[in-house]
This record gives sequence, C-alpha cells and structure tokens, in this order.
Amino acid sequence: MPQFFMNKRLIILLVSIIILVALIGFSLSRSKLTWPEQFIKDTTGWVQTLVSRPVHYVAGVIDNVKDLQDTYQENKELKAKIEEYGLLKAQVQGLQKDNEELQKIVDEYPSLNDSGYLKATIVSRDPSQWNELITINRGKNDGVEVDMAVITSAGLIGKVKSVSANTSTVQLLSSENPSNRISAYIQKDENTKDKNKKTSVFGLIEDYDKESKHLIMTWEEVPDGLEVKKGQIVTTSGLGGVFPPDLAIGKVVKVESDEYGLAKKAYIEPSADFYDIEHVLVVKRESGEEDK
Amino acid sequence: MKKFWIGCLIAFMFILESIFVELLPGEFLSNKILVPHFLIITIFFFSIYANRNTAIIYAFVFGLLVDIVYTEVLGIYFFVFPFIIYLTSKIMKVLHANLLVVSVISLLGMSILELIVYEMNFLIHLTSMEFANFLNLRLVPTLVLNAIFLVIAAYPYKRIFEKYAGEGND
Repeated sequence: MPQFFMNKRLIILLVSIIILVALIGFSLSRSKLTWPEQFIKDTTGWVQTLVSRPVHYVAGVIDNVKDLQDTYQENKELKAKIEEYGLLKAQVQGLQKDNEELQKIVDEYPSLNDSGYLKATIVSRDPSQWNELITINRGKNDGVEVDMAVITSAGLIGKVKSVSANTSTVQLLSSENPSNRISAYIQKDENTKDKNKKTSVFGLIEDYDKESKHLIMTWEEVPDGLEVKKGQIVTTSGLGGVFPPDLAIGKVVKVESDEYGLAKKAYIEPSADFYDIEHVLVVKRESGEEDK
Repeated sequence: MKKFWIGCLIAFMFILESIFVELLPGEFLSNKILVPHFLIITIFFFSIYANRNTAIIYAFVFGLLVDIVYTEVLGIYFFVFPFIIYLTSKIMKVLHANLLVVSVISLLGMSILELIVYEMNFLIHLTSMEFANFLNLRLVPTLVLNAIFLVIAAYPYKRIFEKYAGEGND
C-alpha cells in the first residue's frame, strides 16, 4: 500500500499522535473537569437517566419474580435470625446509654455518625471496565464534593472522583488505581481472651486483586500486635482524612507476610457487591470541617 | 430524517453498552471481564454498507463522548475509534463484502481496539494486568460476547444501512 504513506496522511497521523499524547497528559494531570466536559457529562447523564430508568424498572420486576421463588427458604432463615435480634437490641440500648454519657464527658465531640447521607441512583457505568467508574445522578448542586465516600447498605464501594453540576463520577474500590488508598483497621475479635493485646491493626488498603476479587491490605508488623484471623471485620479508620471512620469494608480471608517478612498482607473480601449496584449513599462531610 | 434515526441508533448503542455492564450480574462472570463493543461494531457496519467518511465522523464524535463520559481520560477512544474504522474499511476493500466476512473483520477490529487501549492503559499505569491475563480474562470473553451480539444484529444492520445508502443516492 504505497498510498498509505503519502505525505498528507503521514502528516495527519503524526499530528494526531501529538494531540493524543497532549490530551492524555492533560487529562491525567488535572484535578478538575473542564466546563465543556461537565456540560457534556450533565447532558448525557440526563439522556441516560431517561433510558436507564425504565430498563432498571423492568429488571427490578424480573428480579422480584425470582425473589418470590426463594421466599420460603429465606423466611425460615430470617425467623432464626430474629431470635438473636432481641438479645442484640438489649445490648445496643445499654451501649447507646453508655455512649451518650461518655460523649457528654468529652464535651460534645462531633460524632461522625451525625454526618448526613445523600441518596443517589446510578446513571451509567464505564463499559470498558479499565478504570471502574460509575456516574450517579447527584452533583455539585446537591452538595457532592470530590473525595467523599460512597457506600451501599452493605459497605464502602468507592469515592467521588469528579463532580459536575448535576452528576458526579465515583471510582469504585475495584479499580486498580494507586491513588485509591484507604486507611483501614481490623477490628478486634470479641472472643480473644488475651487482654494484653489491645492494639487494633491499622493499615492501608492498597490494591485490588482482579482475579480473586479481593482487596489487599498491608501493615507493618508490630511485635505486640494483634493476631489477625480469618473472618475478622475490616472498617475504615478515619485516619486518612478522606473517609469517615467505621464504614464497613469487608472480612479478612487470608493473611500472609510479604516477600521481605517486614509487612503483613491481608486479603479482604469486600462486603459490598461492586456489580449489582443501583442505589448508593454519598457520605456528606460535616459542614463544620472548614472552620477547624 | 433517515440520518437522524441512524444517529439515534448509534447513540442508543452508546447508552446500551453502559446499561449492559450495569445489569450484568456479578456472580455470573466469576472473574471474567465482559466488555460490550456494540458501538464500534455498529459504526463499522455503517462504514461498510453505507458511507465510510460519515462513519469516520461518527467515530470521532462518539469516541470523544466515550472519553468524556465513561473513561475521563481524553484522547484514547477519540483517536482509536476512527483509526479502527479506517483500518478495517481498508481491509474490506480487498475482501468480498459477505455478511460473514464483515462480521469476522468487525471482531478483528474490536480485538485491535482492545489491544491498543490495553497497551495505552498499561503505559499510563491505569492497569497492571499482565498480557496473558488480559488475553484469558478479558479478550476471549469479550470476543464471545460480541460474537453473540453480531449473530443477533448483523443481518438487521445490513438491511438498515443498505436501505439508508440506497435512499441517500437517489
């Protein structure tokens, strides 16, 4: 094909490669979306909502029919669980009272449980699945800000990556992005008899293993540290300054040392499902934060 | 007026890709990654049965839309979409435009698209997936999914776009 390398085409190819590199460089280094992008995102978000609402409705009806088939089995299990519930309720009441008293002592320290939640619905999801992104139907106008935590009823799923006026983009925990670190801690096992080992294990969730679908958490080994076992619960610690504390992340599946024996590595099964998401909650940061 | 409906069809494919991924149940995949490429396949069929140059313009516009709305990294699809359309339509000049051949070439174009995007994402550290994993977990399931889509859509696409081209020439 001699004509493929004709001068004009070669020049077009070269110029486009230069523009391509410049555009990629630009979009990786910026911290905010440009206004044409925001405008296009809002417009397409609106059109996508028009289409995805009825589709989700139909899918919901089909799911409901499927659910009906399992109802009997589920009902049995739930009845068994309800019996445990009464016990738990009594405990919770006691704890709540304790908590209130203690909070008075520490002079109304602003509890992060007070922070509000914002309900949002998913508008679209990145089909290429390289950088797991979803778009939700709340934006700057509703008070969403970059880096807010996004959760479902089951647990943490990600954080807000960018906002435009009426939509915002959420980066899921399952995307392999090095900027996606979360400061987390492993809760103490209630059954531990050794009272001397009080330290909880604090660490960073650094990676996501695509093959086993587990989050990977690492921490430096401490001599008097807590023994981490399978099944322990992992939550956010709130130390990173990005996420509020005590949002459920998942359960420990496997613990191993890293190749140098200096750090420990835990595989965590996320408690939230990253696939069947429809409604999410955006955890609003406290308004008083700017004053501090 | 016909042009408007073609635009609508392609825009619908653009939205359908996202809805498809949203509704895909997680357990069903185990750890495979299925990527719908209905948009590029539609534009490719348009380029073969209707008009190549219009198809390249569609590829530019929707490539840019994919970049802005879905990936938030500008440039990749914006350039790769038109490039793939150009490349595959050059290949089709040599081959006979039989429905089966067109389908196979569109799968080939889709694989090249996946490959280029993978290499680019690897370069800018958006992914650390190894090449063997990319082939097993991503490319093969994606090929199967889009082959199924082609079985359903290839013949209707041929009819629609040929009709469109026929009316355009009158």
